[in-house]
Amino acid sequence: MTLRSMSRTIIVIAAGNIGLLCAPTPIFAQERECSVPERFYVSEPQLTKTPKAIVHGQELVIVVLGGASTLGIAAGKPDLAWPARFAAAVAERFPSAHIKVVNLAVARQTAKRAAERLDGEVIPMKPNLVIWETGTMEAVRGMDIDEFRETLRAGIDELRTAGIETVLMNMQFSRDSEAVIHFEPYLAAMSQLADASDVPLFRRHGMMRHWAESGFLDLRVSDSDQRRRVAAKLYDCIGRAMADFVMRGSPGANSPPVKAGSAR
Amino acid sequence: MLRARQDDAARIERRDKPAVPLVAVDKTNSEEITTTMPSGQSVAQRDLRLDFFRGLALFCMFIDHMPDNILARFTIQSVMFADAAEVFIFISGYTAGMVYGRAMERQGFLLSGVRIYHRVWQLYVAHVFLFMMFMATVGFTAGALNNPVYAEEFGAANFLNEPGLAVVKALILQFQPAFMDILPLYIVLLAMLPFVLSGFKSWPWVVIFASVALWLAVQFDKRIALSAYPGPDHVWFFNPFAWQCLFFLGGWLGWRGNHGGVPSLKQRWLFYFAAAAALAGFVIRFSWTLHDLYDPLPVPVSMEFLWPLLSKGDLGFLRFANVLALALLVSRLVHPQARFLATRGAEPFVICGRNSLHIFCLAILLSVLGHLVLNEFFGGTLMQIVVSAAGIGIMISVAALMEWFAAAQRTPGSTAVRAPIPDGGARG
Repeated sequence: MTLRSMSRTIIVIAAGNIGLLCAPTPIFAQERECSVPERFYVSEPQLTKTPKAIVHGQELVIVVLGGASTLGIAAGKPDLAWPARFAAAVAERFPSAHIKVVNLAVARQTAKRAAERLDGEVIPMKPNLVIWETGTMEAVRGMDIDEFRETLRAGIDELRTAGIETVLMNMQFSRDSEAVIHFEPYLAAMSQLADASDVPLFRRHGMMRHWAESGFLDLRVSDSDQRRRVAAKLYDCIGRAMADFVMRGSPGANSPPVKAGSAR
Repeated sequence: MLRARQDDAARIERRDKPAVPLVAVDKTNSEEITTTMPSGQSVAQRDLRLDFFRGLALFCMFIDHMPDNILARFTIQSVMFADAAEVFIFISGYTAGMVYGRAMERQGFLLSGVRIYHRVWQLYVAHVFLFMMFMATVGFTAGALNNPVYAEEFGAANFLNEPGLAVVKALILQFQPAFMDILPLYIVLLAMLPFVLSGFKSWPWVVIFASVALWLAVQFDKRIALSAYPGPDHVWFFNPFAWQCLFFLGGWLGWRGNHGGVPSLKQRWLFYFAAAAALAGFVIRFSWTLHDLYDPLPVPVSMEFLWPLLSKGDLGFLRFANVLALALLVSRLVHPQARFLATRGAEPFVICGRNSLHIFCLAILLSVLGHLVLNEFFGGTLMQIVVSAAGIGIMISVAALMEWFAAAQRTPGSTAVRAPIPDGGARG
């Protein structure tokens, strides 16, 4: 219930010239383990405007839509959620970057509800990029797949018309949720839609599965402290991977800390 | 006494199935006579195509239902708009129309209706069994699902908060979690069958017209659906108002097959038209498969344009048309007793297709288990292939066991005490 009450919280992170991110906290000392194999990136279209603007130090706004996993309460603090870690990772690698990441995630929000917010809430903020994490509610509740896909398509079109770039992000992976929820058709729908709409899809589900398979990510811990640590580590990895993903193809993105080749 | 009657009924059910696709050698009693023969002989006269392709659909269905299975890229869904579900429902409708259509003409509405409802009951029991498995999985993972990384999102799954209601909703077919959506469809379609069959007898064109009209209405109005749990805007994944058309169209063709088939379907232009449609479907769908495997490959027609016609739940036009075109092609190109259908290589398909009700339930059960195994132990492509092969092996073994058991029951002097039955069709 506490999660729900916090769900409307809007977290605004201003990262960039602040400098507090120059010294990473010890928790993230061995973050480099969570490398992402190239197969998750190669076939996705690259963003054009956003990475350029970041490299050139232009002021830009990135809005994140999503659910509980984007809100990141499992890690304990809002600045440990993946959007905050994404901002930190970008700032770390591009010290001249001047980005503001606005996390508009609301727990248990459906794609439809998120799409309704585009017009009144998101577009007026004049973001350069919208990262849209979605699909979980639809899969958990077994909602209509065709309708879900159409909702996303309309949303992406709306953002494109407004001159805003979009990145889609799919669901989380865990063995236990996978056992009772049928994610596959929703993952396929998102993948097909991203392909058809020429929008890059950040394959979080596949990445988390890859990390779980390689033994790096173990969500089956019962101690609450440990759970929080795992969540923080996970969100940091997602944030870093997202930074790589967004900055692909930009000058200076050739020396990211997370390199494709180091995948296990 | 009761037991004997049950056995009898079960046996007639079995014996009747072989009787079904027999080519009517003689007009009157030859079919019954053939059914009393050992399966080896009656098999020679069955329409083996039905068994073979239904068996193939069952294997594909099992493979497709395991997420992340590399083999799912090579099943029939990768070469046509439809997938195993359409093929299975169509052939099941055809077979049901043939078997029960004949039964209805001989035994009357009530007796054949009770036989159909016996099948419905078996499907329902399988559905309840699957639900037990689902709840067991949930019970097993419930502790882990409170991990805050995803607990909030899973809290939205109503069945976790109100399991009591979920049980009731599952019993009335409204709760259809993972893998539990196709049995309810099959159940309602079979439950409607006696009425549709008696409709075929009186006003076939009215029934066909109504069936197609209902399918068409669903294509234009998404509100025509069966509500599901949790409400209020949840509906059955497989919309029975759309899928009934495929099943009953198959049923009509099967029923007409008992009376010499439908002459207008034998026209040449229709064959070429179906061939062209199936070819176009293959080219477009296969290009998507290749594009999926290797992104730079172009596609002639973007999936985006065809989405409105590809809805699986509502049996979109292209899925419907493609499976019908394929059925027409197969019926014209493959002889009912084509030699390859009787080879040892085809046997696994044929025996699974022949025992389709049980193997269908088994396939769903196995895909749930296979999914859990792959999910728990990962293991990559090799593991996926091993699990798929094991599942198919189990399906074939169970089908073979059922064949053997049925044959043993038919053979005089076997351990199963049973008097030979002179005419199967007339009893029930």
